[in-house]
Amino acid sequence: MQEKQLTTGAVSPSGAAAVSPSAHADTTAKWFLISAIGYFFIVGIIAITIAAKFVWPELLGTVAPLSYGRLRPLHVNGMLFGWLLAADMGLTFYLVPRLCGVRIWSEKLGIATAALWNVIILGAVVSLLAGWNQGLEYAELPLALDIAVVAAWIMFGFNIFATIGTRRYAQMYVSLWYIMGTILWTAFVYLTGNFAVLAATGVNQANLNWMYVHNAVGLIFTPVGLALAYYFIPKSGNIPLFSHKLSMIGFWSLAFVYVWTGAHHMLHGPISQWLQTIAIVFSVMLLIPVWTVVYNFFATMKGQWQQLRENVPLKFLMSGVVFYLLTCFQGPMHSLRSVNAIVSKTDWIPGHAHMAVLGAFSFFAVAGCYYAIPRMFNRTLYSDALANWSYWLLMIGGLGFFVTLWLGGVWQGWQWNNPAIPFIDTVVALKPVWLVRFVSGILMFAGIVAFLYNVLATVTGAAGVEKPRAAAA
Amino acid sequence: MNDYTYPSIFFSYFLFFLFLAGGLFFFFRSLRHGYFGPAAEDVKYRMLEDDEEAPRAR
Repeated sequence: MQEKQLTTGAVSPSGAAAVSPSAHADTTAKWFLISAIGYFFIVGIIAITIAAKFVWPELLGTVAPLSYGRLRPLHVNGMLFGWLLAADMGLTFYLVPRLCGVRIWSEKLGIATAALWNVIILGAVVSLLAGWNQGLEYAELPLALDIAVVAAWIMFGFNIFATIGTRRYAQMYVSLWYIMGTILWTAFVYLTGNFAVLAATGVNQANLNWMYVHNAVGLIFTPVGLALAYYFIPKSGNIPLFSHKLSMIGFWSLAFVYVWTGAHHMLHGPISQWLQTIAIVFSVMLLIPVWTVVYNFFATMKGQWQQLRENVPLKFLMSGVVFYLLTCFQGPMHSLRSVNAIVSKTDWIPGHAHMAVLGAFSFFAVAGCYYAIPRMFNRTLYSDALANWSYWLLMIGGLGFFVTLWLGGVWQGWQWNNPAIPFIDTVVALKPVWLVRFVSGILMFAGIVAFLYNVLATVTGAAGVEKPRAAAA
Repeated sequence: MNDYTYPSIFFSYFLFFLFLAGGLFFFFRSLRHGYFGPAAEDVKYRMLEDDEEAPRAR
């Protein structure tokens, strides 16, 4: 039966000749992934520095470039665009040609995109440390760098669409749908959040900004992260996806629902009640696409859960799915007015955001790296044991971070709702929470170091790394 | 100082409806192309064959 389906799926709309998997040069993917993992490490240092500043506010004195106000946007932008989006783009360059059965449309254009992306990230480091900052959440980069991001995205999108346009198979796997959605939605979300927002003022500007912030996660990192999960879960476990039809229902419901939810960041704020209500209703409706995705992955794993003992990429992927479920349950719940009145603006929010960006989408990207990098470099992974260490360090550190901030956030929210408590007392009360946050950060950083070392040892062919195909030849 | 709030909001609405129209167009196209039809599941088997085997780590 499987044989029949494989052959009926192989329709060539373009007449392009199929390429064997080993024919992919993957140069662009390698550039993106190696630099992304490097930024993961560097920005990880920034992350634990600012976590330490919560506990020891005098740390690093009054040196302006090392102040919290400069380091925090560098951490956010570095993790979002230097690590995660770059890793997602690298893995996209890996999986799109394979799913299409053709080579990437232009490797040269891909390398130019990767080079420009690195220029943007290095420019962001300089500008944000120097204090050149637009002062808008997630849109801190100066205008010149915003324009460079748009140029890089056009180059990336053109290359990917051109590759898909020459695909060998008419029917597209769901990951390709999510990737195309990501490219188009990012164009809309980024242009609105970084350009249109500059021309708005007051409440309207805030509303546009939060639409951007929420959709940066919901329409950029979510669809590309799910594209990776839909590709790497079946590939890592060698298990067919439970239902492709269900995955398509998830894709279209996400496309319809997500864009409306941004205003839930401004509940109880100076925006219309109808807009707040729309944001709440659509936030709750998010449970539909989320459940289609999570049910599909759980059903795919039915009878295969024992693979999690040995299979590190699958371990990262399925943990990411659980975090995705949790984060997308939290989101609709704290969009309700009554819950929002307690947790909004508290430490709950970074706990929630880190579970989405680190717990779900970074776990998918790390799994993709562990799966794809040995194949791209035609080597064995340096160490499964070290990969396992990286998993447990990121998992335990991550859980410590998320749970502590949720509890601390609720605690903080209750205190803020009591006008008898002076604000400074609510700050002092959170010191133990921030200490656990710092220690959890150290654990997560150790996980990043283990991941970086494992990848570099694999890529450079350190002792013990085998080259089986070369040996066979 | 000029206030460009309304033009910027209209610009955002324009982009939104542009993508809504594109989304609806491609959704109905995907229906016509059989993504919800009897052969919808073929692709999930094919994707398992598109890659080389990974060497096992130590």
